[in-house]
Amino acid sequence: MKFSSLTLRTFTTVHTWVGLVAGFALFVAFYAGAITVFHHDLPLWQSPQGMDQPAQTLDDAQRLLDGVLAKHPDARKHVGMTFPGAETPQSIAYWQDAKGTWLFAWADHVDGSPTPPQAGLAELVNELHYTLGLPVAGIYLMGVVSLLYGLALLSGLVIHLPKLVGDLFALRPGRNLKQMWQDAHNVIGVLSLPFHLLFAVTGALLCLMFLQMAALNPLIYDGKLLAAIPGATDTAPIRAPANQPVRAGSLAMLHARSIAVANELGQKHFEPAYLKLANAGDANATIEITGDGGVSLGPLGAVALDANTGEVLHTQLPGQRDANHATLAAAYALHFGEFGNGWVPWLYFALGLGGAFLFYSGNLLWIESRRKRRQVVQGRAQINMARATVGVCIGLCVAVSAAFVSVQLLEHLAPAHADAGMRWTCFLVWGGCALWAALRAPSKAAVELLWAAAAVTALIPVVHGAMSGLWLWTSAARGYWPLFWVDGVALAMALGFAAMARATQRRAVNGDPNSVWAHTRA
Amino acid sequence: MWARALAGLLAGFFVAAAAAGLITWVPPGPWQAVIVPSMVAFIPLWMLAALWAFAFRTGLRAWLWLGATAASGFGLLWLLRHFDWVQ
Repeated sequence: MKFSSLTLRTFTTVHTWVGLVAGFALFVAFYAGAITVFHHDLPLWQSPQGMDQPAQTLDDAQRLLDGVLAKHPDARKHVGMTFPGAETPQSIAYWQDAKGTWLFAWADHVDGSPTPPQAGLAELVNELHYTLGLPVAGIYLMGVVSLLYGLALLSGLVIHLPKLVGDLFALRPGRNLKQMWQDAHNVIGVLSLPFHLLFAVTGALLCLMFLQMAALNPLIYDGKLLAAIPGATDTAPIRAPANQPVRAGSLAMLHARSIAVANELGQKHFEPAYLKLANAGDANATIEITGDGGVSLGPLGAVALDANTGEVLHTQLPGQRDANHATLAAAYALHFGEFGNGWVPWLYFALGLGGAFLFYSGNLLWIESRRKRRQVVQGRAQINMARATVGVCIGLCVAVSAAFVSVQLLEHLAPAHADAGMRWTCFLVWGGCALWAALRAPSKAAVELLWAAAAVTALIPVVHGAMSGLWLWTSAARGYWPLFWVDGVALAMALGFAAMARATQRRAVNGDPNSVWAHTRA
Repeated sequence: MWARALAGLLAGFFVAAAAAGLITWVPPGPWQAVIVPSMVAFIPLWMLAALWAFAFRTGLRAWLWLGATAASGFGLLWLLRHFDWVQ
């Protein structure tokens, strides 16, 4: 495709500035997002008693549901619950009280807690992923960042389009370092472009959904959007309560019915994951059972039953659902990496870290292309950009690892303070690193913070072993694979940080002295 | 640059909204059947519209082109709905 040089220049400017503005937030989103892929494993790593607990049965789930419904009239209107299974060994029930606050109940805790059990570390990392840890406004900020991210991707594609194919596999190491960084930035950007476009779109959608609905409703949906949403996203039809109490069907019966119905409709595999129960105890109660249907881009399908008789009301199963449900299931599965086999989470982890690299290298390229090549002293803007990049990005890596270490220590020494202590540690360490980078020469701060990241990350498996007795080899011997992999990945990342620290150190000493990344030689 | 950015942000929003409206109403069947696809499509449409704004040489041109596109999109949508050609 041909573009005028003026257009290309404009798009380069757009790409640079949008990328810089959104890049810091995106680094956080991708680094934390890569770890969030393993959000089911982190609670087990945090408090491993879950590894030994026998998996709950449907009877346990029934007891929880009965307990919640007996105690909370609000839950009778609408309640959700996870089935005990591989992903959630323990059933959790959730509903909204009269004020609209979500409440959670599990095992013997049916009083209704405003926080889910074992939120801890996994929740902190997830919050960093979608809000940067900022309350309330964080999610909207990330929505805007996602939109800018999409703009950066598309403008980057346009700039690169004329030499896209020719340069795709060119990685030119050598004297021209900028060329190598540019090549690395381009190849990762192009090869993972589908993944990035997908995240720009689904990320913006997940964060801005309600604003988008409010803005578009009067414009194109005639103000009838809210009334139409349940039909487009739920499977169970809305039935008004008959105000006639009846004996509800058992969970075991409904669970078995949903599988049988799915099988009858040609779904060889259907593993119920969670339910939504409306008007519990009423003659018109409905239950919607969502389950993993196996081979599909949007594997989650749903069967809606009469909650008392088990009669089929409606289904939305892979291969035979409407456009709304198919799109929703696919968008959800694509964002959360919940499709395909066991390699997909690892692929998402790798692409997540690759994305973090993309934004980091983008900042480095900005600094490099403004480097004053004939003098040691560099411009203020370049130095400040280097400081911010090092402080925010590498600082985040140190802070996340510090949260892992602190939660493991506190979990065993002061369990009551584990959650708050971990959060304080994370944000204080992050702030401390940013401050350190602001005060030091960038070349020094980068090396020091990379070593700090290596050290703190290496501490993760050590502290975990010392506190719980579950060292890497103990976990492997007992078959505690989630714990083994958390510790193992931490170790691998510690080595990665150490390698980067060494490389940065070498560059600072031996590389071109006319750069923010060179140690100033007296 | 700022005028074009603003055109992309504001006029681009209406271009994308009109396009999403056509996606909602033009396919056969009731409009409720494509709510989710139209909501998903709106996001990349807005990004593309914003990018398009930067392809013009001045902010004024960007505003005129995007504004005219949005207006004709909404005009077409209104016509289709007014004569009950879509449901």
